[in-house]
Amino acid sequence: MAGNPRDKYCIVGVGETEYSRASGRTTRALGAEAIRNAINDAGLTPDQVDGMLSYHGGDSTPSTSIQYDLGIRPNFYMDCSGGGSSTEALVGLAIGAIEAGMCDVVAIFRSMNGYSNIRIGGTGARASAPIGGLDLMKRPYGLISAVQQFAYTFTRHMAEYGVRSEDLAAIKVAHSNHASNNPKALMKHRVTVDDVMNSRWIIRPVAHLLDCCLETDNATCVIVTSAERARDLKHKPIYIKGVQGRGTKPGGDFHYQHGPITRVAGHYVGPRVFELAGVKHEDVDITGCYDAFTYTVLLQFEDYGWCEKGEGKDYVTSGIINLGGKRPNNLSGGHLCEGYTHGMNMVIENVRQLRGTVDCYCSGASEGNHSYDYSEEGGCRQVKDAKISMNMGWGTPAVGSSLIMGNVLN
Amino acid sequence: MPNYTYRGITLSIPDNDSEYKGYFEAAGEGRLVVKKCADCGLLRGEPGPACPWCTSINWEWQQVSGKGTIYSYQVVAHTVIPSFRDLTPFAIVLVELDEQRGQPTEFDGLRITGNLVDADFNMEKEENVGIGKRVEVAFQPVSEGFMMPQWRLIDEPDDATFTWSHEVPAG
Ligand SMILES: [Zn+2]
Repeated sequence: MAGNPRDKYCIVGVGETEYSRASGRTTRALGAEAIRNAINDAGLTPDQVDGMLSYHGGDSTPSTSIQYDLGIRPNFYMDCSGGGSSTEALVGLAIGAIEAGMCDVVAIFRSMNGYSNIRIGGTGARASAPIGGLDLMKRPYGLISAVQQFAYTFTRHMAEYGVRSEDLAAIKVAHSNHASNNPKALMKHRVTVDDVMNSRWIIRPVAHLLDCCLETDNATCVIVTSAERARDLKHKPIYIKGVQGRGTKPGGDFHYQHGPITRVAGHYVGPRVFELAGVKHEDVDITGCYDAFTYTVLLQFEDYGWCEKGEGKDYVTSGIINLGGKRPNNLSGGHLCEGYTHGMNMVIENVRQLRGTVDCYCSGASEGNHSYDYSEEGGCRQVKDAKISMNMGWGTPAVGSSLIMGNVLN
Repeated sequence: MPNYTYRGITLSIPDNDSEYKGYFEAAGEGRLVVKKCADCGLLRGEPGPACPWCTSINWEWQQVSGKGTIYSYQVVAHTVIPSFRDLTPFAIVLVELDEQRGQPTEFDGLRITGNLVDADFNMEKEENVGIGKRVEVAFQPVSEGFMMPQWRLIDEPDDATFTWSHEVPAG
């Protein structure tokens, strides 16, 4: 792979707003606060940020408005159409823009009133608007929401590989345990497999209510610059080892015309990102596997090769993904518990984990003094000596991205 | 075509809709059609503008038998579309047509979404939905010259290669 920029770029700042269901503010106000927090976190000033990237689904505020608010004058900016799996891909695009000499420091943000204003998947107020194009083949039959767009893949996978609702519930249980040690999380209480199984059905046989993420009002930001520049900034540099995506399955939106329908984009993204990063599965200490629904987690673990196809149910119930396990997943609680941000919060969490200063309930957390006691709610969630993380972003069964980061050079 | 309203949803199919207008015009006449490549002759399940197999942009509509097998499905227990609330639980099925199954590669097929309905176009009972069940298209009259393709179970043996259905919760 020509021009592999492994370890040459870093994430130097991360920031977000409160996770809520009633922000009472515009996406402009949320975005400005998240970017401001990330700039401060990095120890930068706004005039040192000269690149901006964002992604949206017609539900955010353009970079050019927030530039005014924060006194940023970019030499490069793009607002991209996107959703899940965009965060990782935009980290790659930021590297590209810096490599091209267009700018030096890029703030990537996502801002959405995802609960109080525009809900994902054309639901809520958007559901009654006239439809045309490819929606004609789906919405007249009642197929609209995100879980429905993915459900043919989920059901067929369940049928072919014998996944049970209990297996999926284990993912929610793990993430809720992690969220219970995250003061920011929208849903902090620990849940049981029975809690998930007893929550009302949304789409049978693949999703109870608690298998679904939490629609959230929130903005998030990460800042990318060169490793050279990162060494002079506030935190330990978190190196970008490899980034890949958004990659797709054959057929894109119409992937279900080809097959196998149970395969997701990670099948294509995974081998490339591991090669770019120069690491193997066993080198990875923590994962951020996109949890729009519990099923997205299971499918990606299979197709990124953490287990054999069909053994995702064993992987997610083995304890590996739990805090204290071999390779814990979504330590902030992810979309299922911390809040839904289209993937950026899982990258932010892994940056903080790799710094060793994750914002749990330990009194010395910001100085890296942790108890590493995960037993009770309201405790620690810092993984000891985490060196390599891997994020696996999900857009649809057909669309995904991945990002491998580390706090050490290869 | 004019706008049509179906189950509270306004369907907009303008004259320049080169993907779906012909599909719904044929449905209005009680015919299920797919696009056929005029060069390599392969059919495609999604009526796109070009042939995914040879890139040809020459195509024609081709009528198919309207019979197929349920390839995957979902049962909607909770809907976010207000006009569907009275219909839950209902099944949405991905039907694999009999034509061109497993061609040109093993996992390919012509797959179309619809509801599983009974003889009166009411939603079929949940316990009757399942992967591998045989179905046939049924055209639900909406207004003059416009019908929506739907799917009905037919009395034929299940698909020999794979069948599966979920456990329907009591009550
Ligand atoms: Zn062709």
